[in-house]
Amino acid sequence: MNGRSQSAAMLVAVLVLIGLGCARIPYTTTVVHEDQRVAVRLQREITPAGYTHPVQISPQQMAALLRGFSLREQQRLPLRWFAEETPPKKLFREDELQVLAPQLADALQKVGSEERVYFEVFAPGMNPRYRRDVTGGWVAVHDQLLHLTIDYFHVQQPVTQSDPYDYNYPTPWTPEKTYLLYFEPGRFFLADPKTGRRSVDFREFLKTTSSP
Amino acid sequence: MGRTSSLSGVSLTRWSKVLGLGLWLVCATWWGPPLSLAADAGKLVEKDGKYVFVESMDPATKLLLERAVKQGTITREEYEAVARESQERAYLLQPSFKVWYDRGFNFSMNDNAFFLKMRFRTQIRFTQRTRNEAYRNPGEAKNFPELLGVFGDYRANRSEDSAAQFNIRRMRMYFMGHLFSPDFKYYIQMRAETAENAQAPGGLALMDVNFSSTHLSWLNAQVGQYKMFFNRSQINSTASMQFAERALVQDAFTASGLDRRDIGITVMNDEELFPVNYYFGVFNGAGPSFNRLGSFQSEEPTQGCPGGATGGNPFPSPAGCPVNQRNLNANVRLDVNKLMYVGRLMWNIMGRPGYGEGDLAYSESPQLAMGGGYAYNPSINTSSNNSFVGIDLANLNFRRQLAAFGNGRQLGLGIVDYSTWAVDSVFKYRGFSLQGEFYFKNVTRHEKGLPCMNTACTVTAPGQFGNAFGWYVQSGYYLIPRKVELAGRFAYWDPDTHSGDDLVKQSDVSLNWYLNGTYDQSIAVTYSNIQMGTGGYAVGRSAPLPSASGTVPLDVRGGTLIENLIRVQYQLFF
Repeated sequence: MNGRSQSAAMLVAVLVLIGLGCARIPYTTTVVHEDQRVAVRLQREITPAGYTHPVQISPQQMAALLRGFSLREQQRLPLRWFAEETPPKKLFREDELQVLAPQLADALQKVGSEERVYFEVFAPGMNPRYRRDVTGGWVAVHDQLLHLTIDYFHVQQPVTQSDPYDYNYPTPWTPEKTYLLYFEPGRFFLADPKTGRRSVDFREFLKTTSSP
Repeated sequence: MGRTSSLSGVSLTRWSKVLGLGLWLVCATWWGPPLSLAADAGKLVEKDGKYVFVESMDPATKLLLERAVKQGTITREEYEAVARESQERAYLLQPSFKVWYDRGFNFSMNDNAFFLKMRFRTQIRFTQRTRNEAYRNPGEAKNFPELLGVFGDYRANRSEDSAAQFNIRRMRMYFMGHLFSPDFKYYIQMRAETAENAQAPGGLALMDVNFSSTHLSWLNAQVGQYKMFFNRSQINSTASMQFAERALVQDAFTASGLDRRDIGITVMNDEELFPVNYYFGVFNGAGPSFNRLGSFQSEEPTQGCPGGATGGNPFPSPAGCPVNQRNLNANVRLDVNKLMYVGRLMWNIMGRPGYGEGDLAYSESPQLAMGGGYAYNPSINTSSNNSFVGIDLANLNFRRQLAAFGNGRQLGLGIVDYSTWAVDSVFKYRGFSLQGEFYFKNVTRHEKGLPCMNTACTVTAPGQFGNAFGWYVQSGYYLIPRKVELAGRFAYWDPDTHSGDDLVKQSDVSLNWYLNGTYDQSIAVTYSNIQMGTGGYAVGRSAPLPSASGTVPLDVRGGTLIENLIRVQYQLFF
C-alpha cells in the first residue's frame, strides 16, 4: 500500500468511525435540577420506549413510593451464594427523600414519552475533597407501572471533571452495578407485561396512601 | 497421662478460640462492609461549600429524650444540653483517622489534614515479533543504537527474525495525597520494571516525586521530578493509552530531547476551573534523577586541552596543548549554569477532554481541545566533541537517554541546543475519539563546521545534521460503550531532514477490553507494523568513519527495517 492509498484508507476509517458516533446508551437532553445534593436529568432512550409520560405524581406521593423500596447488590458467582442472604437495605433515607422526591415529581411532569428521568443523590465521600457518595438511577412510567432502576447505591465517585483522565491516576466513574430491588407492600410490585421487569403499580399503591 | 491430656485439652480449647476468632476476623474482613475506623456516630456533611461534622445521636436515646421533653419530664434546654454533650463526647471519642479501600488504600488523618493513598499498577505483556532480514544485517544502529562500555562505542542492534517474550512492562507504586491541607499535594511514583530491550533486570527506581500547591487557582505550582507539561502524549499516563505502547515518534520529541521527566518547577492555572490553561516550567534539562553536574567530559591537566583519549593528541585540539597523556586527566563540567525552559498553552474549546486517550467516559457532549508547547534545552553534550568512537571518555548518561528515546542520530554532534515545538488536538464524543500531534525539533550545533573525521579535518561528515519532525494521528471507537474499544494509529517521523531513506512509519491497531469499565483492569491486544529506514549519515556508524574506527561502517548494507508485533497486555491497577 503506497502512502496516498494508506492516507485515504485512514481518512475513510476516521469518517466511518465519526458516522458510527451515534448514541448507544441513553443521553441527557435536559438538566431539570442540579445542586450539591441532588441532580435530576431527562435522558433520551436509544430504542423506542413508549412511556406514558408526562405523569402527575405529587412530591408526597413520590416520597411514599420511594420509601417502599429496598435493595441489595447482585453479586457475581460464586459470591452470590453467600451475598444473596444479606437482607435488603432501605434504598433512601428520609433526608434523601426530602431532596429527591420533589425534583423527581417535577421531572415526571416534563419528561417525554421517549425519555426517562435520571437522578443522582450526593453526599460527601469518604474523603470529601476527592470523592462523593452517589446513589443514582432512573425512573420511568409505563401506564400504571413505575419503573425504578438503581445504578449506584452509595458508591464513591470522583468529584472533578478531570478525574477520568487525570495524568497521574486516571479515575473514571465506577460503572453501574446491578441491584436487586424490592418493594413493600409486595402486592403492588408486579411484572410489567411489556418488559417483563418488576415495577410498582403506583396508581393502586397511591390509593392506599392518604392524599396530599 | 491424664495430666497431659488435660493440658492438651486446655490448649486445644484456647487454640480453637484463637482460630475461631481469626476465622471470624478473616470472614468479617472478606465479606463484611469496608473497614472504617471512623466513629459511626457522625458524618461529615457538606454545607455552604464547607464540610462540617454532624453527630447523629443514638436513635433510641434520642427517641426517649424527645418523649421526655413532650411529657415534660425534662425541659427543652436540658434536652439540648444533653444532646450537645453527647455530640461533643462522640466527636472526641472518634478516631481522628480513617482507613478504607477505594481504588487504592486510603489513610486520612487529623480530620483530613493529612491524606495518603497507595496504589499499584502493573502491565504484564506477551510480545510476538517478526523482523525482516535487515534486522540481522545491518540492524538498527542509528535511531536506537546500543552504547557499550565506558567509551560508549556505538553498536548495531541486530536480531534474528522472530522473538516471543513475556515481560513485566510496567510495575508502579504510587504514594499520593496531601499534607497540612488538601491544597498542598504530594505525589511519589516508584517503578520496578524491565524494559523490553533492557540488558539488565530492572530494579526499584524513583520516577516521580513532586509537591503541588493549589492555594491559588490561577497560580498553582509544582516542584520536584515529574513529566514535563509539554505535549499531549507524554503528559498522559500509560494507564490510559489506547495502545499497549506509545508510538516511537511520541518518545522522540520530548521537551528535553532526553526523557519525558525532569527536575524543576512549573507554574500553571487550575485545569478544572479555567478553559484556557498555561504551564511554564524551568528544569535542569538533564533527565530524571540527574543534573548537569553529573555530566562531564575529559580534560588534560592543562586547562582547555581535551583529554581522555588514547593514541595521541585528540582533535580539534587548541594550539599549545601538550601530547595527550593516558592516565592523568580531569573530568570537567561545562555549561552547568544552563537550564531548560518549557511552556505550554491549552484551550479546552468544548468540555474537558483531558489527557487520557480514547473516550472511556463516553462523553455525552462533544469534547474538544487544542494545545501547543515549546521547549528550549541548551548545551546537551551528545559527545565530548574532541574524539570519536572508542576513545571518548565522558559521562554517558545524556547519550544513553538519546539512544533510548530514538534520537541516536544526534549522537556525535558535539554540544547542541534543542528547540522543540509541539501542537496537538483531541476530540471525543460518545465513545469516538480522534487525536493528533505534530512535532518539530531544531538541533543547533555549537561547532559550526562539518564534523571532522580526522585530526587534520581533511575528512568530514558529508553534511550537517538537519532538523527532525514527526506527527501521528490516532482514533478509537468503543464498540461496546465503556467496555470494548477498537483503535488505530498512524505515526510518521523524519529523524533527520538532511538525510534520505531514514523515515520511520508506524501503523497500529488495538482492541482493548476494559473489564469493569475503568482502567483498573484491562486487556489490550495491539498489532504494530514499524518500518524504519536505515539510510542517511550518522556519526561513527556511516562512511566516512572517524579515524581509528575501522573501515567498514555499520550501515554498509542498507535497507528498511520492518517489524511486525503483536502485544497482548493485561493491566491491573489497584
